[in-house]
Amino acid sequence: MTYWRLFLFTLLATISIARAQEAAQPSVNGGESLNKPAMAKHAPPACSDPKPDCAMTIYPAFDKKGLLWVAYSVGKTLYVASSQDQAKTFSVPTTIITLSDGIIDAHGDARPKIIPLNDNSLLVSYTTRPDKMMIGTIFTAKSSDNGKKFSTPQPMLTSGGQRFDSYVVTPKGRIFAGWLDKTHAAQAKAEGKEFAGSGVAFAWSDDGGMTFKGKNILMDHACECCRMSAALGRDGLPVFAWRQIFEGEIRDHYAAKLSANGVKLIGGRVSNDDWAINSCPHQGPALAVDTKGAWHIAWFTKGKNRQGLFYAFSRDEGKTFSTPEKIGDDAHAPAFATLLATKKGLYRAWKEFDGAQTVIPIQKSNDGGKSWSAPEILASTTEASDHPILVSSKGDVFLSWGTHKEGYRLIPLRLAKK
Amino acid sequence: MPRSCSFLYTLSLTLLSLILLSGTGLSLEFKPYGRGDFDQVAQLRENRPRIIHYWSVTCPACIAELGQWTKFINEHRDIDIIFINTDDDEDRERAAARLEKNGLSRATHYGFSDSFVEKLYYEVDKSWRGELPFTVLISTNGPRVNVTGALDDPHFVAWLNQLNGVKK
Repeated sequence: MTYWRLFLFTLLATISIARAQEAAQPSVNGGESLNKPAMAKHAPPACSDPKPDCAMTIYPAFDKKGLLWVAYSVGKTLYVASSQDQAKTFSVPTTIITLSDGIIDAHGDARPKIIPLNDNSLLVSYTTRPDKMMIGTIFTAKSSDNGKKFSTPQPMLTSGGQRFDSYVVTPKGRIFAGWLDKTHAAQAKAEGKEFAGSGVAFAWSDDGGMTFKGKNILMDHACECCRMSAALGRDGLPVFAWRQIFEGEIRDHYAAKLSANGVKLIGGRVSNDDWAINSCPHQGPALAVDTKGAWHIAWFTKGKNRQGLFYAFSRDEGKTFSTPEKIGDDAHAPAFATLLATKKGLYRAWKEFDGAQTVIPIQKSNDGGKSWSAPEILASTTEASDHPILVSSKGDVFLSWGTHKEGYRLIPLRLAKK
Repeated sequence: MPRSCSFLYTLSLTLLSLILLSGTGLSLEFKPYGRGDFDQVAQLRENRPRIIHYWSVTCPACIAELGQWTKFINEHRDIDIIFINTDDDEDRERAAARLEKNGLSRATHYGFSDSFVEKLYYEVDKSWRGELPFTVLISTNGPRVNVTGALDDPHFVAWLNQLNGVKK
């Protein structure tokens, strides 16, 4: 009899809890009419091998000897590989780490990076997002044996939450790092206060990336979902660009040079696009500094004053910027610009999509960004693709681009004109 | 122990286990969303207004307003509301946890299952590059409205006012 009572009690309890849970959820309309079986299941990524062809994002960098290095992740594993023949073949990849908890931030604007250093060593960085947390942690690892082995990855910071790191190496070998940092946002939340975006934080390393000093948030309220970009200034100091949240939720852009002592940002607002929006554009700016020291910036906006992809330059270190110039064909949603300055000139490339095909148009300027050659299509694909990145080695310019259908490509630039 | 008692004892323990296991709420299913699917998702049912809301776990603005969507659903039962998570599979569990935490388990959810995201964006709006939150508002009372921004965006509020105005 006791068992029957226990059974009945349990049965009733089960029913009541199930009903209570159902009642706690809002009843939502809209699902019943959708005939999902009519929709096709879509294929998973083409491959899961540990090679650049299978990565969603790839970051390229040439070392002094002209060897191409790439950092990329496939699943929860981060790899580095090198190529002596401009990405036709790659070395057996070196595994940096396989995560047991969380994911490697390698999607859209976010990606692991590799930085070849002046002493032929290599620095790798990546950001993890643990399963139960929204914020990330930046890790770095070092190799001094030509990428055969990497040191155990070390966190840049152990609290606060970071994302979107970028690096600049000076001719003297100092590595400057910049990233978006949620420390102040977390403090504000704990105090029940509102806080828009992330802080913009910096640090530097004089031991080849083994340790970083001077970690400091120098500005608050950067848009937390767009990448930062960095470039080396002519005076050996790093320049950074990011999307900033100005008064009134306006998500326009800011560029600044880090002072020699690493405690001050000197720069200014790139343009007044007036994009007042409480949203994540998921698209940060591109930055390059040319041989004369001029700053070049490309960015995306849907502001009141302009909409689309734009470019401007500053010849007074961010005090003033040229009138924004529209890039690309608006009918094809131009996006994700990349800039590169070499001794031969200034280059800008970006992505366009016409509904069927994605193309990468490229232009060159020989007068510091005042005028540009006609756009030429450097590559195309009809499937998913990574953001384009322009990279140079010994004066040659290449487009680095991973596409789902064609795999990873390093395409040398041979412009018809100029 | 008699056999019938043993059976009831086991059954009771099983049910108790089920109670404990079900403590996290109802399971959440993301239907796959890929190229060509937008037109079907955007079809009105019995001319009821429809909201299609695209969001991601990497979008703090999206996450911050999930709770407001719960409230919105309860206050607008005459509108069909569809949520589409734009993350890839790696982040789907995280997305499910966010929805469950905000009481949105029973809503209709889709998840991007196609990595050709440019095409998915283009099918919705030729000028959309993936900025979020992004919401599509459809009714028989006027043209389709695409809104980049949060629930309190003026375009969203205007669409809702127009909807309510026509009904009055």
